[in-house]
Amino acid sequence: MANEFQGTKDYVASNELLDSVNIAMALEKPLLIKGEPGTGKTQLAQAVADNLGMRLIVWNIKSTTKAQDGLYIYDTIQRLYDGQFGESGVDDIAKYIKLGKLGEAFDSEEQVVLLIDEIDKADLEFPNDLLWELDRMEFYIGETHRTVKAKHRPIVIITSNAEKELPDAFLRRCIFHYIDFPGPELMEEIVRVHYPDVEANLLKEAMDVFYAIREIRDIRKKPSTSELIDWVNALQIGGISADRIRAELPFVGVVIKKDEDLEIIRHGGIH
Amino acid sequence: MFIKFFDSLKKNGVNVSLGEWLDLQKALDSGLCGGSLTRFYYVARMILIKSETDYDKYDAAFEETFKAVQHETEVGAQMLRWLDKSDMMELAHEEARHHLNQTEDIMIDKEDVEEKFRQRLKDQDSEHNGGSFWIGTMGKTSFGNMGGNVGGVRVGGQTGYQSAFSVIGVRKYRDFRDDRVMTNRQFQLAFRRLRQFSSRLDIPESELDIDRTVDKTCQNGGYLQIQMRKPRKNSVKLLLLMDSGGTMIPYSALLNDLFQAVNKSNHYKDVKCYYFHNCIYDHVYKTPECENGDWVETEWMFRNLDSDYKVLIIGDAAMAPEELYSDTGNYRGSNGGLSGYEWLKLVKRHYKRVVWLNPKMAPGHAPWREAETAVKEMFPMYKLTVDGLNRAMTQLMAPGR
Repeated sequence: MANEFQGTKDYVASNELLDSVNIAMALEKPLLIKGEPGTGKTQLAQAVADNLGMRLIVWNIKSTTKAQDGLYIYDTIQRLYDGQFGESGVDDIAKYIKLGKLGEAFDSEEQVVLLIDEIDKADLEFPNDLLWELDRMEFYIGETHRTVKAKHRPIVIITSNAEKELPDAFLRRCIFHYIDFPGPELMEEIVRVHYPDVEANLLKEAMDVFYAIREIRDIRKKPSTSELIDWVNALQIGGISADRIRAELPFVGVVIKKDEDLEIIRHGGIH
Repeated sequence: MFIKFFDSLKKNGVNVSLGEWLDLQKALDSGLCGGSLTRFYYVARMILIKSETDYDKYDAAFEETFKAVQHETEVGAQMLRWLDKSDMMELAHEEARHHLNQTEDIMIDKEDVEEKFRQRLKDQDSEHNGGSFWIGTMGKTSFGNMGGNVGGVRVGGQTGYQSAFSVIGVRKYRDFRDDRVMTNRQFQLAFRRLRQFSSRLDIPESELDIDRTVDKTCQNGGYLQIQMRKPRKNSVKLLLLMDSGGTMIPYSALLNDLFQAVNKSNHYKDVKCYYFHNCIYDHVYKTPECENGDWVETEWMFRNLDSDYKVLIIGDAAMAPEELYSDTGNYRGSNGGLSGYEWLKLVKRHYKRVVWLNPKMAPGHAPWREAETAVKEMFPMYKLTVDGLNRAMTQLMAPGR
């Protein structure tokens, strides 16, 4: 494959993840990425776009997002106003049709990467409403009798936090990959991408404590990669020496966000 | 061989569609897997499996189909059961630390350990814990788990410490299976089901839909066209009745999680929670301590919480027969003239939707658990797992009586 995603110097990915991107591209199917928060699901799309030199279009899904929003919006109210104030061009409906993110990706002159971020936030039926569009890579604008068809099939990356079950019909059309929580080796690599000259002892000690916290069963919110990165940064800036980390847990608020969890760690300590 | 894989997936409960299967063939044809079994494992998983809850089933099917190709270090399920001794963790840790202090400078030859492991796998025929030769828990041989030997081969179980050379037969995705007992977050997700179904409730269209009214009016050339919609408010009311009797103590963490999850699900119209001790009698308690006096009358509850409340009873239904059937069966107080069984019948009669969640429900038909069987006949009973709770939620939202 000429166009193969290899990861970038800012984004460390496991081989399986790299493979999943390439397979999705080869089979021309959307790639659905799931995983714990903070495992870099959203950054993946940015990395793919950078690596392949394509434009990234991000469609952030909220609980109120409808499938139609991604295709196009017919701004009827603007048209009503214009009609009342006698603006010119009111007859031209096309003027009031605004393409959504999906429409923009289809309509683009060159191939783009389309990120549909946190698809599980939207209504249950949302993914089903997009089936046809994602399959055929086209949609029809009834008001102007125009069919928007993808000139170049966009690389579609979809992320989900597993807040809702996605419909089977939708899942069947996707390539699925679950990002495992990174093990210590990969984690070290990831932290070093952000802070190349972090002191080895400090990093090791911080990571040991970090994984120990994740191991504690009663912890309600397990700290994630991004929290470790912030913590390492805080420790560096604070000039904390490695041997104090385990005993004193400096800046532990960066890693632990819940009072109950803080309490558990204060009482139980880190083993 | 691939058709065998397909069958094996089906047998393990993975629902692979024909379309997905053809996609896999396409991927194979275009050489995406190279010649490597490992790559095939991942490629096939990406295409065929669409949820991490199915990864474990996939692993099982994969192992079943391709084990001949694998290394011969295959660990039987029976052996994994012998080694499943996670409750000994603490003890093992203690011993391990002690042992580590003494054996810091032992040299380990990985090849040698693996060779012996394979040999012993062939010979072993029973469970061993604490010994010094066979594969078992807490022992000092190089094989098994939670052992004190540095640099051995770990077989399943939880990671004691990181020194084992390789993890053989560990089912990494077992935690994701949706028939496993659940955690707080999963509880919350399950409770969302009650909201999801609530929009389908049979209620009148009583709210002005401004967006659609504007839209329709504009499309109508400026002539007003009113559009109404169903209110989006959640009308689900939830009544939680939790057993806090002695036999429930092992599940207190689980119940706490469940309670937290309900509290965080702030989308209900109303949530009420009462406690009972082993069985419901004439009073339900306001706190889990179940102190006499700190209660409301069960009949008061019937009067004040109408029949639309969805009732979730959580308990192990492990009452003694007299606790359930005798009208003096409540050893903590009065019965109010009725047996526990009759009180439960009143609950059933009063509320349209009642489900029972049981953390230690016996699978299938279990006539020896007399009380459980009786309760099961009265209420739909589900095990307190992700799967069970989801089915319970569906049952609560089902239309009709």
